[in-house]
Amino acid sequence: MSKATSGASIELTNVTKSYPNQPQSAVENFSMSINPGELIMLVGPSGCGKTTTMKMINRIIEPTSGSIKIDGEDILSLDQNILRRRIGYVIQQIGLFPHMTIAENVSVVPKLLGWDKAQIASRVEELLSLVELDPSKFANRYPKQLSGGQQQRVGVARALAADPPVMLMDEPFGATDPITREKLQDEFLRLQATIGKTIVFVTHDFDEAIKLGDRIAVLSERSQIEQFDTPANILANPASDYVSSFIGEGAALKRLALIPISSAKLSSTSATGPSVEISENLREALDHIVLNGGAPVPVTDAKGKSLGSISVKEISSALGADVSSLGIKKGK
Amino acid sequence: MSIQPAVDVSTSYSQPSDRKGRFFTAKRWGTPLLILVALTGLLVFLTVRGEPDKIESFALNWPYMAAKVDEHIRLSIAAALLVAAIAIPAGILVSRSKSKIVRGTIVGIGNIGQATPAVGVIILLALILGIGWSTAIIALVFYGLLPVIRNTMVGISQINPSVIESAKGMGMTGGQILRKIELPLAVPVILAGFRTTLVFSVGVATIATFINAGGLGEVLVVGLKLSREAVTLTGAVVVSCIALGMDWFAGLVEDLLKPKGV
Amino acid sequence: MDYDLSLVLPFLIKKADEILELSTEHVLVVLISLVIASIIGVGTGLLVWEKPVARSAAVATAGVILTIPSMALLTILIPIMGLGWASTVFALSIYSLLPIVRNTVVGLREVDPAVIESARGMGMSKVAVLMKIQFPIAWPVILTGLRVAAQLSVGIAAIAAYVAGPGMGAYIFKGLSMLGAANALNFALTGTVVIVIIALSFDAVFILINRLTTSRGIRV
Repeated sequence: MSKATSGASIELTNVTKSYPNQPQSAVENFSMSINPGELIMLVGPSGCGKTTTMKMINRIIEPTSGSIKIDGEDILSLDQNILRRRIGYVIQQIGLFPHMTIAENVSVVPKLLGWDKAQIASRVEELLSLVELDPSKFANRYPKQLSGGQQQRVGVARALAADPPVMLMDEPFGATDPITREKLQDEFLRLQATIGKTIVFVTHDFDEAIKLGDRIAVLSERSQIEQFDTPANILANPASDYVSSFIGEGAALKRLALIPISSAKLSSTSATGPSVEISENLREALDHIVLNGGAPVPVTDAKGKSLGSISVKEISSALGADVSSLGIKKGK
Repeated sequence: MSIQPAVDVSTSYSQPSDRKGRFFTAKRWGTPLLILVALTGLLVFLTVRGEPDKIESFALNWPYMAAKVDEHIRLSIAAALLVAAIAIPAGILVSRSKSKIVRGTIVGIGNIGQATPAVGVIILLALILGIGWSTAIIALVFYGLLPVIRNTMVGISQINPSVIESAKGMGMTGGQILRKIELPLAVPVILAGFRTTLVFSVGVATIATFINAGGLGEVLVVGLKLSREAVTLTGAVVVSCIALGMDWFAGLVEDLLKPKGV
Repeated sequence: MDYDLSLVLPFLIKKADEILELSTEHVLVVLISLVIASIIGVGTGLLVWEKPVARSAAVATAGVILTIPSMALLTILIPIMGLGWASTVFALSIYSLLPIVRNTVVGLREVDPAVIESARGMGMSKVAVLMKIQFPIAWPVILTGLRVAAQLSVGIAAIAAYVAGPGMGAYIFKGLSMLGAANALNFALTGTVVIVIIALSFDAVFILINRLTTSRGIRV
């Protein structure tokens, strides 16, 4: 996927956070380097230190030791507030300022940075449109007049206000219902494709991590990295039992969702039944096959022109695993 | 000793004010109407019963009553303003303090203060500092401080932590967070405390007459001592109207200053 | 003013009987008023909590009463009820109404609608739901109202001594009337401190009652 990159690199080296009166560190010797424009997911069970790790990047939590650099610059030597104005921050509880309108909420950081009024106004408009909230309708409303999903979009817009190169997101979609969450995730992916920020995204939901992440770090206690790789690689080769257990059942099916039909070798035999578009993923194709009583289904291009057909055989060879048993067991 | 929910204390005198935006509501205009009715009723009563006798006319005349009303209002408002000037910064300081001991001490003193009878405070102070207006002010301020300090603390600490965290995360300095986020959001609670103090002050100012600080308490005492019910009634109605009026006015200010969207 | 602390103890010993009697009176007058106010206040709360107009009217009326300075109320009561206990009990009772009515209403209304709905769904009558479900859940809030009312009453009872009401307030006014005399401060200080102790004891007792009578499931 090619995208515009306005992000910065982040380099964490041996970062440790320990609290007095606690025998174990919350985060121990955490090192990671993140490329500009990359969307990194930190996944792990609650209490594993993933949030603490993230919050050390904008120093809401001060590291005990180690170094953190953004674009090579040591952030621990910067003034915290100057640093934070350059990092977008979205949290699960959203934290919109209830006494400010949506427009005022979004313009907080630009105001702190001393932008002029006209510039702020046009930025607010641009951002609200970007997160698909009609500015003429929403700019002057107060947070409590918005639904949870709308509030979360404002949260994202507010974090993006001053065009920060880095965004930190702490389970931003965690408090929304499944349908809203899925919609927000899709929108967020589209957004990231155009803005290309460097994003550190914390979640406990592995499926969310697979869906959104360029790379995923699976963390265990004290924020130890169990595996740090692309979603496809983690699904194909979990590094340990811990990672496998975190992936849960149906890893092959989850992988299917990551592979476009175009990467499978289509069969030239014609097939009948519900057709599937080539731009869809293999999981979608399998879904159609199951609905078709297990028989191959036709594949078409966007215009509906037939390109061939696909069966369980082609899907499993694309995956390099036996799907036929899987498809019946877990085909939902 | 436990911490009493401050809201219970702070709003014990105030009804929740109407936020729905309509201007002419029963809640908002009921009080002025009541005051009007009470004062008119009093005037009618005094007129109907005829000329006051010689003793009554000592108190039942316009210049005397005007002077007492003036004294009373001055005393209560001066005290309430002093309280605001002292208690709000103090409340902010205390809410900034991370030490549990400091906060616990303040809450503890607050509880004892709440339990101290106003008349005890005012008379003890008079015995120590001497009688008069300035002693009355000191007593009123002492007595009014606690609701405002406590409500300032509560108002700031009740703010959703995620709001503060996102303000921090956006790079606001401590001062900016206080001015732009914490204080505006705490305003309703602080004002509720102030309103309590104002009404308290009107009441406590009534007993200030015991230490020669004037005010409408004097009218009550005069009526009582001379067994002239008309005088007592006049004092009581007027001072009650002042208390209701102040409470009403404070409620109006509360409505105006309350941040929208909350 | 010079004050010799060594005189406090002899004073207290000499006056012990009287102090005990006055404190008992003080506690008693507050208790009687609280009982009366609870019956009227909780009763009113139970009757009006569901009716918006009646509810606002009840709370607003109680609020207006509480705004009236206590000196004013006490002095106008004298021609009607005379000096002493009757006026004091009446005044304390009606001042106590606001916290009690308001907290009863708030407590009953705060009960989760889902809880009420499931009780109704099990076939409980409205009255049964109110008495067996809502009231126990609202109880801690109502009790807090009583506690605030008690604190208020203890303080106002002190002022009532001016109209010959019962209680320790008498010592405070005695102190005032002896302004300049050696024992003035002893009287006023003893009166004030004993009243503070009474108020704090009421508080403690209410905390205890709360612990003993609140269902363990809703204790915080």
